[in-house]
Amino acid sequence: MSRKILVVDDEIHILRVVAIKLKNNGFEVITAEDGKQGFETALAEMPDMIISDYQMPNMTGIEMVEKLRQNETTKCIPVIMLTARGFAIEDQQKQNLNIAEFLSKPFSPKELLNTVEEILQNCTAK
Amino acid sequence: MNIPAYIIIAILLLSASAGAVCAYLYWKKFRNGIDVIINLLKKGQMPHSRNSDCDFIKTLSDTIRESFNENVSRIETLQRQTKELDIHIKLLGKQKNSIEDIIYSIHDVVIVSDSFDRLSMANKAAGKLFNFDVEKSKLMLMTDVLTGPGKRLVELINQSKQSKIPHVKREFTFANEQKEGIFECLISCMFASDGEVSGIIAVLHDVTKEKEISQMKNEFVSHVSHELKTPLASINAYAEMLADGEAQDEATVKEFCSVIQSQAQRLNRLIEDILNISRIESGLVKVSKDVISLAVLIKEAVEMIKSYAAEKDITVNYDSPIIFDQVSADRDMMTQVVVNLLSNAIKYTPNGGKVSIGTEVNESEKIVRITVTDTGVGIPEEEVQLVFNKFYRVKANNKCAKGTGLGLNLVKQIVETVHNGKVFVKSKVGHGSTFGFEVPLCSSLEHSCSN
Repeated sequence: MSRKILVVDDEIHILRVVAIKLKNNGFEVITAEDGKQGFETALAEMPDMIISDYQMPNMTGIEMVEKLRQNETTKCIPVIMLTARGFAIEDQQKQNLNIAEFLSKPFSPKELLNTVEEILQNCTAK
Repeated sequence: MNIPAYIIIAILLLSASAGAVCAYLYWKKFRNGIDVIINLLKKGQMPHSRNSDCDFIKTLSDTIRESFNENVSRIETLQRQTKELDIHIKLLGKQKNSIEDIIYSIHDVVIVSDSFDRLSMANKAAGKLFNFDVEKSKLMLMTDVLTGPGKRLVELINQSKQSKIPHVKREFTFANEQKEGIFECLISCMFASDGEVSGIIAVLHDVTKEKEISQMKNEFVSHVSHELKTPLASINAYAEMLADGEAQDEATVKEFCSVIQSQAQRLNRLIEDILNISRIESGLVKVSKDVISLAVLIKEAVEMIKSYAAEKDITVNYDSPIIFDQVSADRDMMTQVVVNLLSNAIKYTPNGGKVSIGTEVNESEKIVRITVTDTGVGIPEEEVQLVFNKFYRVKANNKCAKGTGLGLNLVKQIVETVHNGKVFVKSKVGHGSTFGFEVPLCSSLEHSCSN
């Protein structure tokens, strides 16, 4: 069974490129264009992993993860966050929200794919 | 060091009385000589009757004349010195007042304490900031004068007094119900001849504005880098996908290439906009103003965005009016203003909508007013006034279109900074917006306008 990954970004070009990369490598991909839509999609689709942008309208990536962590069913979904902001998120916040990895934009789709596979492997191992 | 006025007055009084005593003594001596001559004359002993008498009187009168002359010159010297001292005192008084006036009027807060921790001097700014009466508080204990946020300053002053470090620079944050600010606080020690601290001078320079500017600059840089990185991220990702052969058919390869191209153009527009805004802000922009007709310029701008409007099936109405609408303007910049307003209107108007341009000449106010009205999504009331701010984007409308948040700021800069005009906006959510600007009209009598 292929793994289902939710990609959340307000840049459609980024959504498209990440989706193609993942699909080409055997993943099932669903997309959302902002944090609010991402949260709703996550609840409805229960993906194996979420790749989200940091800064988005309506609800930021961080706000979305905060809400997901409060929900019993989505509490443990691993999250990779993409960010174009120069600032680093504090380790404490990273731990609190259980964010698996931060990748800064511009990012390499290849590297993103590697990170996704690595994290999913670790999850299965556990 | 200033010589205190009372010492000068004492010296003056002493010298004056010494002069008077001298004068009296000499006058007495002089009178004695006169008396001797009078007695001799009364006795009938005429000066020429006896040689010895004659000689005596001659010597005597010479002595008297000498001492008299001597006295006159002494008195004159004393009078001159008194006058000079008087002038000197007045001058010192004036200088003292003027130095006090200078310190009193300095924009920075100046507070001086003496070795007994009392307030020896404070200026107007100090009284205003720490809310105390500068005159009445003189020689009061610093702890009584500086209360509330001022307590921290007393602490800093005491630290300097104890450490005897000549100059200490600190950041001092002032905050109470009425006002708040950040100050650069420089505390200096005054030293007496024995090396002890004889007083402390605290100077507080308001750096609130500078701090705000630096904060804004940081936000700007962070925002710009975010805006630049977004198209760059796409370019980078799509290029890598192409290189890795992830585009599996001809159509996908084409699509990837066109994304790279459009994102590169977006990046270039962004850089151009940032550069233009920064050039205008710093006054480095080259402006070449000509007398032009806005109606003609708008017609050209409408032609430019025609294909964009057609893509969204939006009609653009502009009936170029036959009016005198000559303005002194930089043609390229003004075109950019009109194009920016038009493309914004099209961008935020759903397919099949309408955009209309209006031109109005107000002869009495000598202005031309241009309006661009759309049937678009509109702007929430609380955000309307913010849309001209750099990087501001209406959150709810973010979805409708991509933008940098620089276009309207550029419009504002060009209209207001370069052309002495004014921008305005009216909007209603769901109904549409009217963006516009007005610029000074060239007088119809003159063929050239002053810039």
